[in-house]
Amino acid sequence: MIGTVYVLVTGPGGTVSASQLVAGARSLGRPVTAVAVGAEDVAGDAALAGADRVWWFGDQSGRPPEAFAADAAKAVAAEPGLVLTGRAPADRAIAGAIAAAMTAPVVVCATAVEVGAGSSGLVTGPAAGGLVEQTVEYASPVVLVGPALAPAGAAAGGGGAASATEAEMPPGPLSEAHPYPVEQASLTPAGGQKANLGEAAVVVSAGRGFKAQEDLALALALAEAVGGELACSRPLAEGLGWMPKDRYVGISGNQIAPEVYIAIGISGQLQHLGGVRGAKTVVAVNSDASAPIMTAADLVLCGDLYNLIPAITAAVK
Amino acid sequence: MKIAVAYKWAADPSEASVSPDGQVDFSRAKPKISEYDAVAIAMGRALADAAGAELVGISAGGSAAATPLALKAALSRGLDSAVVVQSPDLESAGTFQTAQALAAAVRHLGDVTLVVCGDSSIDAGAQMVPAVLGGLLGWPALTDVGAAQLAAADNRLTAERSIAEGIQTLVATLPIVISAAAGALAAPAPGMKDILAAAKKPSQVLSPADLSLELAAAAPVTAQVKVSGPARRCVQIDTTDPATAAAELLAALAAAGTPIGGRS
Amino acid sequence: MPFHLTDEQELVRTSVREFADAEIAPLAATLDREHRPPLESIPKLADMGILGMTIPEQYGGSVSDYLSFIVALEEISRACASTGVMVEVHASLVSTSILHFGTEEQRQKYLPDMAAGKKIGAFCLTEPGAGSDAGALASTATKEDGHYVINGQKIFITNGSFAEVFIVMARTSDQPGTRGISAFLVDRGTPGMQIGEPEVKMGIRGSSTTPILFDQVRIPESALLGEEGHGFKIAMKGLDGGRTGIAAQALGIAQGAFDQARVYAMERVQFGQPIAKLQAIQWMIADMSVDLEAGRALVYQAADLEDRGQPFADAAAKAKLFCGPMATRVTHAAMQVFGGIGYTDAYPVERMYRDARITEIYEGTNEIQRLVIARSLLR
Repeated sequence: MIGTVYVLVTGPGGTVSASQLVAGARSLGRPVTAVAVGAEDVAGDAALAGADRVWWFGDQSGRPPEAFAADAAKAVAAEPGLVLTGRAPADRAIAGAIAAAMTAPVVVCATAVEVGAGSSGLVTGPAAGGLVEQTVEYASPVVLVGPALAPAGAAAGGGGAASATEAEMPPGPLSEAHPYPVEQASLTPAGGQKANLGEAAVVVSAGRGFKAQEDLALALALAEAVGGELACSRPLAEGLGWMPKDRYVGISGNQIAPEVYIAIGISGQLQHLGGVRGAKTVVAVNSDASAPIMTAADLVLCGDLYNLIPAITAAVK
Repeated sequence: MKIAVAYKWAADPSEASVSPDGQVDFSRAKPKISEYDAVAIAMGRALADAAGAELVGISAGGSAAATPLALKAALSRGLDSAVVVQSPDLESAGTFQTAQALAAAVRHLGDVTLVVCGDSSIDAGAQMVPAVLGGLLGWPALTDVGAAQLAAADNRLTAERSIAEGIQTLVATLPIVISAAAGALAAPAPGMKDILAAAKKPSQVLSPADLSLELAAAAPVTAQVKVSGPARRCVQIDTTDPATAAAELLAALAAAGTPIGGRS
Repeated sequence: MPFHLTDEQELVRTSVREFADAEIAPLAATLDREHRPPLESIPKLADMGILGMTIPEQYGGSVSDYLSFIVALEEISRACASTGVMVEVHASLVSTSILHFGTEEQRQKYLPDMAAGKKIGAFCLTEPGAGSDAGALASTATKEDGHYVINGQKIFITNGSFAEVFIVMARTSDQPGTRGISAFLVDRGTPGMQIGEPEVKMGIRGSSTTPILFDQVRIPESALLGEEGHGFKIAMKGLDGGRTGIAAQALGIAQGAFDQARVYAMERVQFGQPIAKLQAIQWMIADMSVDLEAGRALVYQAADLEDRGQPFADAAAKAKLFCGPMATRVTHAAMQVFGGIGYTDAYPVERMYRDARITEIYEGTNEIQRLVIARSLLR
């Protein structure tokens, strides 16, 4: 398939969905090859997402997608092209293997892509920790990890040439799998609902202003009252472990553009604000008048969240 | 057996300043070993101690990364020795060039079968070097590892991590590249004894030529602009009485065309 | 004159700052509010090697040079002045005195435990009638069949409520003035030692400051530190080095206040712009930064001279004379930058303002420092 754009699909997890990636690839006006890696039903998801062609790398053994990184990379490198992937651990591992095999640069969180003749292109994305946005001219295909090319929730719709039955390994010597010796010993499903922050119209987000994990119940109550999703700043997910990692908002986590983003007890560091630049209305609730978020919000409530949040929840009901 | 830990000598962009025309000034931001790399080194140290292996730090960068201060800063965190690949071309290298340099260092060391990386660098934050490094070495890569154990005799690594689907335990045969999750374990600040001992530990500074390495050329930057979020209105709502504040907030949101409530 | 720190000294700074930000700073407000010392920090400070920075390796310490210790003290004090003075008295007054003047047996008995944080030190010189006029102290130590019996009242003893080893200055002879004073090592719990309730102070409220009554306290002859009649010299030698330590504490307090004010100025918006754009604020910040640089130069100079084995008492006096009032000036200006909110406990600057004041007074007042400096210049 001449000039195909690749979309990597490794499973339902991650912050960028297969549909979003295919929609982003379609917007470049090129045929789309979905590279599905992992369990067989991932290939079905890729076809449903509207790809023109689906390659599948995996087996019935239950190995994690990472085991097939080299196989997928070899196939893509044989027919190099632009690659779009999500940011889940498996996506990154395979994206890296592909980049290595193609001798390709990697751009994370690109916001715009212009494909030129052949394999050249102009890619715009954040640099210097999000301080600046750079446009770089590439002469060869690049791997785009977590690109924000299509609005969240965009469906590619029909129009893909592939059907679920056509998912198969590419022909020839590449059709033999040589997985890495990596196996999954166990997978204990996490409690609680999976986050769907990208599609929520209202996101209630908690930061270090909350003194104890139990107090997050206040934020959860507000999220439920407004029919929105609960998110958090990175320290709550990683350092403190109060919330699952797929719920943190920031340039290295979820980048969302909800209608309303309510930041509670979040100071508003650059890395966090970079995750909600596209939000329509930002509400900040914080007791620190000099916190960076107070000058980066549309509606500012400087006060004690422990009094304000219950009041807002009550008013909503 | 050698375990390599990749670290970066880089400054925090939040300490840098950006001019209106998009030039980034890092002169007031001091480079350091990031908290993510400190976690990786601590994880590497624990694995090396348990396996009786040598822990070697590997890094790629410009001249600052090869100064005695940078080397000692890394060594004082618990490394046995360090190898730095230094070149002006690596000064602000992207993911691919960094991974190339680290791969060359790993090959140069010879008997490395495990590379531990940090979650991400403090300045680029791409989280991609471990995966590209694995690809260049022909090894699998597992990121976001929260806990790891090494059964050196069996040449196997067991890794536990938290992914969207839940808590996953993986078993892999070496060689492998892993990256440590940001909160994987506590990395205490180096103590006085560690700082004093750092100067006595061996280190090597090599150029790409020393490693027969040809770095990929950097693609040209055609435009660079300062990022400023959309201008926000910063309307203050009086919070003296929480109930009144709440009512005012809902009214303001409705007026802005983004009402909340009535959506559940 | 050290214009640049060595790599090791730079690493001490970055490492102790990292440690202090994680372990010391989070406690500071609580210690101040609850008027209690940071006992939980002692094992952590020991693990970092900070409590042993003035003790040689053979006694379990990790000494490199005094300047490294001063940098560590500055960084600790920047996070919490109370923790800073606890470390300063322990490492700069007590362990150094035992190291320089103690017998091998005394060094072995105390130094390893002090480096490990198992025994914290306290320095008992001041009495109700003997502050700046330390030579007028009235406590006595009477020799009685192979023992000394100490009687007297000491006040304002830092670490009093939890220290295990006390250096006590008392008169062993009727010789007038300073020549009749000797120094002793007294263990906590020796019968007759009554450690009183800690003082309620304006600042460094996390530092335990207690009176200690010595009522017929009987200690063995081997508890004499140095020679009889040398106690005052021992005390002054200790205070010479301690001077640099307190100057470092003052410097750290001031730096902490400055760092807070600088960030606040860039974020606080009044009259439609960050106040950092207003000339009045810019001048305050500029003046504070010069004050800090000047103080730092004097403190590091004094520590460096001590490391080179050169006379340093005057340099130490100059460092303390400058840094005490400087800390008062800088914390005062920092609060002015903050405005009203700086007067509340929403920010640590009000605590730093209260903490700073004592650095002009203890371990030798500004006035005593002036005497020391003048005496060396005029004959």
